[in-house]
Amino acid sequence: MIKSATPIVFRVILGLLFALLFVSLFRLQVVKGKTYQRIAESNFVRIRRITATRGEIYDHKYRPIVRNVPSHNLYLTSGKIHNFSALAKFLQRYFEISETELHDLVLKQRFKTYEEILLADNIPYETVLILSERMNYYPELVFRIGSTREYLYPNHFTGYVGRINEKEYELYKKEDYSLNSYIGKTGLERYYEVLLRGRDGREIVQVDAQGRSLELFDEKSNIEPLNGLSVVLTIDNDLQEFVANTFPEGMIGAVVVTDIRSGGILAYVSKPDYDPNLFMQKITPEIWTNLNRSEKPMLDRVIHGTYPPGSVFKPITAGLGLDSGVVTEYTKLAFCKGGMDVGNRFFRCWNHSGHGSNNVIDALKVSCDVYFYDLSLKLGLDKFYDYVKSCRVFGRTGIDLPNERNGLFPNTDWYRKTYGKRVGIIGHKVNLSIGQGEVLTTPLQMNAFYAAIANNGLWTQPHLLKQTVGRGRLTREQVMPLTKSRLPMKLSTIQTIQKGLWAVVNAPGGTGANAKISGATVFGKTGSAENSMGRTTHAWFCGYLVTSKPEIVVTVFLENAGGGGALAAPISRRIFDYYKGNLENIKKAAPLPPQFRTVEDITEQEIPLDAEATTDVPTPDIANPPVAGEE
Amino acid sequence: MINRKKFDFLLLVLLSILIILGCIAIFSASTTLIGDNVHTDNNWWKQIIFAFLALGAIALLLRLPMPIFDIIVLPLFVVNILALILVLFTPAINGSHRWFSFGGINFQPSESAKLLTILMVARIISREHLNEYRQILYGFLITLLPVSLIMVEPDFGTTLVFWASLLAMLIAVEVPLFYVLLIISPIVSIASSVWWPAIPLWIVILVLLLLRARLSWVAITVAGIANVFISLITPVFWMGLKEYQQNRILTFLDPTQDPLGAGYQIIQAKIAIGSGSMFGKGWLLGTQKNMNFLPEHNTDFIFSVVGEEFGFIGSILLLAIFMGFFFRIIFAISELKITERKVASAGILAYLMLQTFINVGMNIGLVPATGIPLPFISYGGSNLLINAVSVGVILKYLNERGFIK
Repeated sequence: MIKSATPIVFRVILGLLFALLFVSLFRLQVVKGKTYQRIAESNFVRIRRITATRGEIYDHKYRPIVRNVPSHNLYLTSGKIHNFSALAKFLQRYFEISETELHDLVLKQRFKTYEEILLADNIPYETVLILSERMNYYPELVFRIGSTREYLYPNHFTGYVGRINEKEYELYKKEDYSLNSYIGKTGLERYYEVLLRGRDGREIVQVDAQGRSLELFDEKSNIEPLNGLSVVLTIDNDLQEFVANTFPEGMIGAVVVTDIRSGGILAYVSKPDYDPNLFMQKITPEIWTNLNRSEKPMLDRVIHGTYPPGSVFKPITAGLGLDSGVVTEYTKLAFCKGGMDVGNRFFRCWNHSGHGSNNVIDALKVSCDVYFYDLSLKLGLDKFYDYVKSCRVFGRTGIDLPNERNGLFPNTDWYRKTYGKRVGIIGHKVNLSIGQGEVLTTPLQMNAFYAAIANNGLWTQPHLLKQTVGRGRLTREQVMPLTKSRLPMKLSTIQTIQKGLWAVVNAPGGTGANAKISGATVFGKTGSAENSMGRTTHAWFCGYLVTSKPEIVVTVFLENAGGGGALAAPISRRIFDYYKGNLENIKKAAPLPPQFRTVEDITEQEIPLDAEATTDVPTPDIANPPVAGEE
Repeated sequence: MINRKKFDFLLLVLLSILIILGCIAIFSASTTLIGDNVHTDNNWWKQIIFAFLALGAIALLLRLPMPIFDIIVLPLFVVNILALILVLFTPAINGSHRWFSFGGINFQPSESAKLLTILMVARIISREHLNEYRQILYGFLITLLPVSLIMVEPDFGTTLVFWASLLAMLIAVEVPLFYVLLIISPIVSIASSVWWPAIPLWIVILVLLLLRARLSWVAITVAGIANVFISLITPVFWMGLKEYQQNRILTFLDPTQDPLGAGYQIIQAKIAIGSGSMFGKGWLLGTQKNMNFLPEHNTDFIFSVVGEEFGFIGSILLLAIFMGFFFRIIFAISELKITERKVASAGILAYLMLQTFINVGMNIGLVPATGIPLPFISYGGSNLLINAVSVGVILKYLNERGFIK
């Protein structure tokens, strides 16, 4: 038998492959061993994240609302820890980080011991100065300058950012968040996280212990961060400040001022409020208790609180009556003798001495409950439900803030589900007609409805974002198109309601006389809603200002304060007065600040009469406009 | 079961040594020192459990009567192919569909496919009265079946192992060597097109080798022209590729082009191994390992831990054991007289040898990173099990050989 060549071939191949490995290993470990030892000692060849600068938030005249300020942060590289207990003591003493806390942090990151862990942020500069000498004993600790958010005034719409928590990290780590990342927690910071955040860059740190570059990699392989877009809001800082200050001290409630034509919110106040800057530091137990006191300063009453609207709801009932032809502008309904009998129950009017028999305009003017009781008897509940729904008084408005509340308006099914099959609907319906009973709305929903009435029936989505500036300039439409819809009302119906709202403020005997100003016309409706939260009624005033054209709509809501005409209407008057006085100033467009100008802006200014406007806005880098909020 | 006169104790001992070294390396790789605190993850005792399971599986295999062993290969192969199809419908892990996981244990059907494909190919191509063309064609077709499924996963690195095994089996089945040369010549032609002076050089070498094999002039001319054509057409193809496709291939060949991705791992592995220097830093004392610069130093980059902690001496020792182990398998191949068993052993040899070479080469920056684990050393239960059973198959063949001497 001939000896096969096969084993020889295999031996040769095996020998060649392993010889190659031996030689390479010798080169790597023996010849270049010293070099690599030097590199290893520096412990410094790694990839570091360059955090993108978060976009700032401005009012409509580019005045800051939220801005970035430098801060000192303390980082820990757990792989460099020498003496764990000494470090724990040091951190306990100066940063109130307990040993177990530290242990947990280090354990959680044990697969990335070379990565820096953010231990504390916003450290006062004095502390940094005091500690920098002691820091020499702890090479694992390092101070770095980062940036933090400064919120220029207390408010509920900006929200705030915070360190990403474990749940959020699991959810979003695919989107390149690290455990040190900040993420918008509430408000606009959360809603427009995608716009504001930008994209983090990467750099290769490759220096030896003496700080010399090791030149293992090309420097240009670093990835530059893309800064976040800055956001310009429809808010007017002056008006916002005025509204916040004119709000009565110690009261609870909300005020929304919206531009009727655009739907842009000019002022957004919920009281009591809180300072978002509190969340930029470690929150002490005292602050935390204070934030959770019974007045709930953290609650955004504009969209997160739902309340019975009371009489500000009446125009909707009136609208349905007029639209369905049950009544006309001139139809007088049941005689008000301080109330009215429905079945075997007596339903009271708010005015116990009675209003007599009224048509719709007078009923709105004096806010006669009996007119609406009587009207509701002629209307079907489910038709009522559909009508209210298309007036968008419940259901989310779609404002660009997270977790907006729905509100509530019941229909027959709802009553059957809640109270059983044999529920009597009529009594409930009578209550609903004056905005009492089960109906619940947010102040923002009422605000948008009154804006639509003022705008002859065109409902525009209330919103805060006007445009973005910075790396890319996007209009609101490009980020997310606004929803617009028509109220279900006929134009004649709207005009009748407008007459009623005019009478409320301007006719003798109207409940909203306190809102009247000179030099412009105010339309509006007062409301004093009974509620389960307290003895006194919620005070409401929803109204709008018309100069030569409709200008702004104001909604004032005061929780358990009393009567709307007496309490809410004067606040509205002050706001209308202020707005009318500063009309020119508020409406004047501010020039784009130099830092946001692009080449096109400058050339455009130099050659002003060239007809062709450049429309090529820098293409948005965001694949999907944000859809945060719904969870 | 064990026939003392025929059983290859040396091969079993070498295998056991490799597995024990693996456990030691994994213990170190799963240990992190932070200050005075030591954290050890429980990987290493999982590996020990699997080591015992693996040895148990070899014992079972040796007890299995040969006829039954011969019968079950085909059904197992079919089941394995079905598993390869099924695995494509599992949720993707890191962008590829490779694993079945039940109760914390992950199983890669492509692992067992290596062994079963080798056994299948060996069975088919060593039938008598097959000419070389059929041997090559059948071997190619059978291998293509699992390979095409694995390409879909996608797992390019693993498929290389299949082709290498096929080549080794063709050599073992005594297909004339010039066929093997012709099979690999297009690959060399593509590679030579990178630098044009290499093309004529390679063609000359090819023609000379074919002349030595006494091929007809016609065949040599056809082979030569075909190869020239391939090396000239490659740049045209290259230009036709989109830039990102080009980049992907370039980073695969040279990872330092992508320092934030694959290149980062390679350089960290090189720093770890290089800094181990001559004598290493000592067991559990590797600083680079401790900093966890490498995300997968339990599995694909286990050699970097060995290199760092045991230095050049330790690495060479480990490679020497591997080498002895492979030489022993080659010795076994020459001992086996039944063609099918010889061919299967050659396939198993090629697959273990190539994986070892690729993995170590990847750790020291010699070959592109392909995500192939180091046999017997890397952490991974199913991997260890299949590799050990493959060696078990060779042990069984040796055990069953007759006295022809």
